[in-house]
Amino acid sequence: MKVLIIEDEKTLALEIRAFLNKAFYLCEMAHTGAKALEMLDLNLYDFILLDLGLPDMDGLQLLEEAKKLHADAAYIILTARGNIEDRIKGLDQGADDYLPKPFSLHELQSRMQAISRRKFGIRNELIPIGDFHVDLQNRSLSSGSDQIDLTRKEFDLLSYLLLHKNRVLTRMQLSEHIWGSFTDDDCDSNYIDVHIKNIRKKLGNYAPVDWLETVRGVGYKIKKQS
Amino acid sequence: MKLFSKLTLFITLSKLAIVLLFVLSLPYLVENIASEYTNNYLRQQCQKVKEVIARKGIDFYLEGSDSYGSYTLLKEEYIALEATDKSRILDTIENTQRVIEADTLNYRVLTHSFDVGDKHYLLEIGKTTSTISQYNKPLQRIASYVLVGLIVLTLIADLVFTRLLLRPLGQIIRTKLKNRKFPFRDDIPPVKTSTSDFKYLDESLILLMEQVHDAFEKEREFTANASHELMTPISILQNKIENLMDDFDVDEGLQERLADMQRTLNRLKKIVRSLLLISRIENEQFVRSESWNVKELFETVKEEIGHRMEERFISMELDISAGTVWHHINRDLIFQLVYNLINNSIKYNKDLGTIRVSEVHRSGKPYRLIIQDSGVGISETDLPAIFNRFRKLNTGEGSGYGLGLSIVKSIADYHQITISVDSVPAEGTRFQLTFPKEVISSSDQVRNLSAS
Repeated sequence: MKVLIIEDEKTLALEIRAFLNKAFYLCEMAHTGAKALEMLDLNLYDFILLDLGLPDMDGLQLLEEAKKLHADAAYIILTARGNIEDRIKGLDQGADDYLPKPFSLHELQSRMQAISRRKFGIRNELIPIGDFHVDLQNRSLSSGSDQIDLTRKEFDLLSYLLLHKNRVLTRMQLSEHIWGSFTDDDCDSNYIDVHIKNIRKKLGNYAPVDWLETVRGVGYKIKKQS
Repeated sequence: MKLFSKLTLFITLSKLAIVLLFVLSLPYLVENIASEYTNNYLRQQCQKVKEVIARKGIDFYLEGSDSYGSYTLLKEEYIALEATDKSRILDTIENTQRVIEADTLNYRVLTHSFDVGDKHYLLEIGKTTSTISQYNKPLQRIASYVLVGLIVLTLIADLVFTRLLLRPLGQIIRTKLKNRKFPFRDDIPPVKTSTSDFKYLDESLILLMEQVHDAFEKEREFTANASHELMTPISILQNKIENLMDDFDVDEGLQERLADMQRTLNRLKKIVRSLLLISRIENEQFVRSESWNVKELFETVKEEIGHRMEERFISMELDISAGTVWHHINRDLIFQLVYNLINNSIKYNKDLGTIRVSEVHRSGKPYRLIIQDSGVGISETDLPAIFNRFRKLNTGEGSGYGLGLSIVKSIADYHQITISVDSVPAEGTRFQLTFPKEVISSSDQVRNLSAS
């Protein structure tokens, strides 16, 4: 998938690119609105990540222009302004999602994946982990023919880890994904442990869950299947 | 007491006092005047008699005899002149009795002695006392009526004028002080008055509020800009750390330190985010047009935060009618408000503690919501400061950085909800939210009210 990162903070754009490259996205960068329009005119993109605070152009105006050129692309607005009005306007003008800065790169990837499923009709068949299968569309988990009941948060947690397979996610990243910005200090991080414990217990009744690893002092990860 | 009432009271009382004083002293005054007048009259008569004697001689009266006497028809006045051998000089006026043709009457009598040639004479002129005071009563009555009439007229004039005079003051109080809400965003024209004192007061108030407003604007702008400028570097740092953690996933020691960095950065992020939120609420960037069933709201909050309660075996009792709906609110903000309060109640609660949420809704009284916990409580010295930013309670082990309740306060203020706290250390804390009328009345009723 091809991504255009429109962001005037070069360092930030580089970090986003570095991260998305590892997830096999092809990224290009534009640091000004003019440059972005030029690139949009020449190339095709699946994803356009748009910072609203560009030096030479109003972000929302750029979104409108870009929509004319690439109606089918998926747009995600990234902004540090983060006021509600911008968000509503952005979504009204056809942006697919909105991420206030600072955001986690993992969260960004997760949103992009969700959009892919929704917008581009990319249907992952059942994703295997260990002896289990995860169905992201129907939000269900099965072992053989048995359906395993997970709470909403447990499923979110598991699918987030699964999306970032083989990467350690800190308790904080996980809790922010699940509770959003309502989390308070790192108080909630401990509750991640409770949820992981519950997931292990529920899944452990069917098959081993050694693929769900605890990384001491850091967080959790789902190990790559060998 | 209001200035106008005070002035009215003073004016009325002072006039009443004057009336009272006058009415009380009137009989004495009238009597004095009448008696003084009579004395003058008697002296004038005496003078006339002496003039006649000087011109025409004593025999004009005596006609050869030793004495002369005369009185008016009803014996109201008399005159007596007689020769006397006593040479003492008399010149008095006194009330005394005289017998005239078998009638004993009270007279005011002038006694005057004088000499003509080598003879001594004594002159008496009398006037009955009843004729002296015959006009006293009606005079008093008329004087009283006129006085009361005049007093009433001036009283009315005074009150009308006072009212007119003080009207600008009332306007200043109403428009500049009572009906204005911090941070005095709207411009209100100066009150029209020709009284320079009021003009000065009005102008000073306008100036003062402008200054308050400017200071407030500056602070808000600073908060918003600072938060915004901070978000970008935080964003870069966070993403760099995330990328580093992915790159170094083999080295566990380094990863742990990176996770620590992330935690610290996260704290910074939350502070900035909270400050930005407060600044936005104060900037009125949120619309208040949504509704929420209160029970549903608390269930949602419970769903979000329930895991914290379960962990510490804290139970929550919801005593809220299923039909209660809050209107004219911002759902995101109200959620945050309730969330922060409940979170607070959990954080400072004891294990196995309780949280009780109840509502008080009596007709004619404002709707109230009460959140009572069985926590560590807040000491009396800390109570006034709990809504201040970055104020941490002295609980020692508490987490958080003291912005949660500041946010609660901002959101409450924004919705015109009054929030009050009382607390007993070691027993619990009670937050009480008093809602404005329009939040609790259904939107239909509000529409009807505004239409009528």
